[in-house]
Amino acid sequence: MSETKALESMIGEEYKYGFTTDIEYEDFPSGINEDIVRLISEKKNEPEWMTEFRLKAYRAWVEMEEPSWFNATYEKPKFDTLQYYSAPKNKPKLNSLDEVDPNIRETYEKLGIPLDEQKMLAGVAVDAVFDSISIFTSFKEKLAEAGVIFCSISEAVQDHPELIKKYMGSVVPARDNFYAALNSAVFSDGSFCYVPKDTICPMELSTYFRINNMNSGQFERTLIIAEENSHVSYLEGCTAPVYDENQLHAAVVELIALDNAEIKYSTIQNWYSGDENGKGGIYNFVTKRGACRGKNSKISWTQLETGSVVTLKYPSVILQGDNSVGEFFSVAVTNKMQQADTGTKMIHIGKNTKSTIISKGISAGRSNNSYRGEVKISKKADNARNYSQCDSMLIGQTCGAHTFPYIESANPTGKIEHEATTSRVGEDQIFYLQQRGISEDDAISLIVNGFCKEVLKELPMEFAVEANKLLGIKLEGSVG
Amino acid sequence: MAHPTRIEPSVLHKLAMHAPESGNRLWTGIREKSMMTLNSTAFPNKKIEEWKFTDLKLISRTPFVRTGQAETIPAQNIEKYFIPESDRSRLVFINGIFQEGYSSIGGLGKGVTVGNLSAYARNKIVQAYLNKLVNYENDLFTAYNGLMFEDGAFIHLEPGARAEAPIQILNLYTDSEKPFIANPRILIVADTDSDATVIEEHIGLSENVYMTIPVCEVKVKQRAHIHHVRIQRDGQNAIHMSRPIAYVEKNSEYHSYTITLGAKLSRNEPRVIQEDEEVNFTMDGLVLIDGEQVADTHSLMDHRFSHANSHQLHKVVVNGSAHSIFNGKIFVRRDAQKIDSFQENRNLLLSADGLVNTKPQLEIFADDVLCSHGATIGQLDPEEVFYLQSRGMTEEKAKEVLTYAFALETIENVKVDSVHKLLIDEVYRYTRANSKPKKVLV
Repeated sequence: MSETKALESMIGEEYKYGFTTDIEYEDFPSGINEDIVRLISEKKNEPEWMTEFRLKAYRAWVEMEEPSWFNATYEKPKFDTLQYYSAPKNKPKLNSLDEVDPNIRETYEKLGIPLDEQKMLAGVAVDAVFDSISIFTSFKEKLAEAGVIFCSISEAVQDHPELIKKYMGSVVPARDNFYAALNSAVFSDGSFCYVPKDTICPMELSTYFRINNMNSGQFERTLIIAEENSHVSYLEGCTAPVYDENQLHAAVVELIALDNAEIKYSTIQNWYSGDENGKGGIYNFVTKRGACRGKNSKISWTQLETGSVVTLKYPSVILQGDNSVGEFFSVAVTNKMQQADTGTKMIHIGKNTKSTIISKGISAGRSNNSYRGEVKISKKADNARNYSQCDSMLIGQTCGAHTFPYIESANPTGKIEHEATTSRVGEDQIFYLQQRGISEDDAISLIVNGFCKEVLKELPMEFAVEANKLLGIKLEGSVG
Repeated sequence: MAHPTRIEPSVLHKLAMHAPESGNRLWTGIREKSMMTLNSTAFPNKKIEEWKFTDLKLISRTPFVRTGQAETIPAQNIEKYFIPESDRSRLVFINGIFQEGYSSIGGLGKGVTVGNLSAYARNKIVQAYLNKLVNYENDLFTAYNGLMFEDGAFIHLEPGARAEAPIQILNLYTDSEKPFIANPRILIVADTDSDATVIEEHIGLSENVYMTIPVCEVKVKQRAHIHHVRIQRDGQNAIHMSRPIAYVEKNSEYHSYTITLGAKLSRNEPRVIQEDEEVNFTMDGLVLIDGEQVADTHSLMDHRFSHANSHQLHKVVVNGSAHSIFNGKIFVRRDAQKIDSFQENRNLLLSADGLVNTKPQLEIFADDVLCSHGATIGQLDPEEVFYLQSRGMTEEKAKEVLTYAFALETIENVKVDSVHKLLIDEVYRYTRANSKPKKVLV
């Protein structure tokens, strides 16, 4: 998701520079207090109830303690000096691609990103009008025809207050956790999607195409509602490495699936992961949760986490409706000094609920990769079923792989299976492939892609191809 | 003794103010050290990750006294727990106090020393190892034991010595008007090339409330073998907090089997710490609980050097409104390559009111290792039950047979015949009584 934010912020920049000035935001005070929260709400021209929502969250946040239970150490963000209103960032304007960090350019080329897009991502002034506006227009028409609402949260607050009032905070309450509370108080913007009854969303939705109010900033908020018998697939992020000035990113994503509805949510995250010593990397502290409220509903999370210096992320599913299904497919790659503590929660409440967890962690360099998951079968969840598989791969001798699965069953008809393995990229495997004329880097990429196959195949086509390349690039030179 | 203000004194802290005096220098040193730990350690609560699922109200709300008053027990009530193989290799403790009259230590052959710790207080081995091996971070219970224990079992095997018979350490707990705390202690030092089998038992003779905090230290030196069977049959209102820790040296083998049957609340924290390359160890467990029992196992297998082979099979059967907790840690430290470690946790949940929490935990820092774990929670396979029914068994009988078979796997490797038979009987008794799911009447 964070990718998206960066992308957005950059596309947004172009847009802003073209049509407005950003003087308005520059004097926004840093730090946080009730006045700041009110000011944010005021800037966004929000109704009274939204301001109240934010203030309540702020008051809860003030009482909360910053968590420290995860398996990562880092310098805590200085909350009193952060700037909470996401003004467009003043990045130095570059005149040509030659001025871009050669490392980034190399990666762009390996990913096969078109030149114009490269310029845009790197923040180079692009002369030609970016043609996504025309794509966007036809895109919007198609969605409107189907009755799907897809807009920014700010727009939704103005145009669909009844939906926001009903659903926002219903899956991730404002006082859920430290970062969710902070997000609820100061969230900048994000996506809102509402798929009406009996509707199959005609296309894969992606924030990439939501060009108005692009600048979602560091406190993004996403809300997706799938009504009865509907289906929607949502993509977030992109494979290109992107720099952003905000070090802390605390987003909240809420998904709601009613009877027979299905939501598929895919993420590729490749935020800046800092230099060799992890300096300057992004903190990615996200609360993502879906509620299968209706019978036979399904929520599926797929993620490819490759960036950020610290990632704390547990996309979860609350299986309330009978026969509902939760899925979690994840590949987390850490290299250099990255630390990822990620996994999922599957809370079985309804009868005959099923969940599947497939998690692949790859650690290289001096990184630490942790899977942390919870599977809970509550007392009334008759015949609930869970299968979890968590595999770790270590590359080199200075990294670490950790598995913390919390498993709880209070119902004798429930069935939980969990397995975890640890393995490595063997020298003999690499040697064998090299002997067949495959370069060392390609050999690693091949082995790693095989290891992650079960998850990568869950990604939508557009992502899957790039994901393969991305894995290879991320692990380049990590053996030998 | 004054407590730092930030620590809320618990029942243990209060009792610690009346620690026994000791004329012995070794004991005095251990007490001073334990007192320091105790004073800086708060009583655990559910906010601490390691105690997240375990409610200790049962301890904090019980008005414990320091020791139970001596009560005479008819000899036959003690003798019935003797295992025939250990006829001349037995140590008996009642409420943690050594019973010379019931103990018998003549039949172990050359190079094997068995006795009570206080009698060996000046022994070089005791001086060198007692309380030196205990390594539990911020643990109030080991600190309390260190402060309070007066005696314990001591086993020393000289280089090359083989114990000719299994050594039985029998800990009995008696009836008492007031709830008391017992602090049993075991020190086992197996020198190079030695070999012994130790049967450690904890048995409650009545239904009163008591707490026992057994601390067991084991040192297995090069090429030595220790086979350690631990059977917990505490009383149904008892609290059992055990801390057995073993250090294993090069080419040694340490195999432990812990069978948890009794106690209302038990917390077992077995640890094996690798001290050199090429070791082989097992840490199996069987937990059979029902009623309102809470059985908690927090184990650690710490691989610090390369070439270790370790195995853990932890099986649990839960009935009634019992609650099982398992946290099995496997650590593989940096440079500890070529580790082959396998952990398996299987839970059978028979009743609607039972609860199982499990957290198998792998932490790996070396790349050339083979580490895996598996955990399952479920009920008996209805198809298997049906199959047996189709062969003429009643449903109850079919379930009994399947539960019995499920539990049996963990005790198969117990080498001592009479103990093996005893455990089979215990498993049978449990499965007979629990073939029907039980709902506890309120």
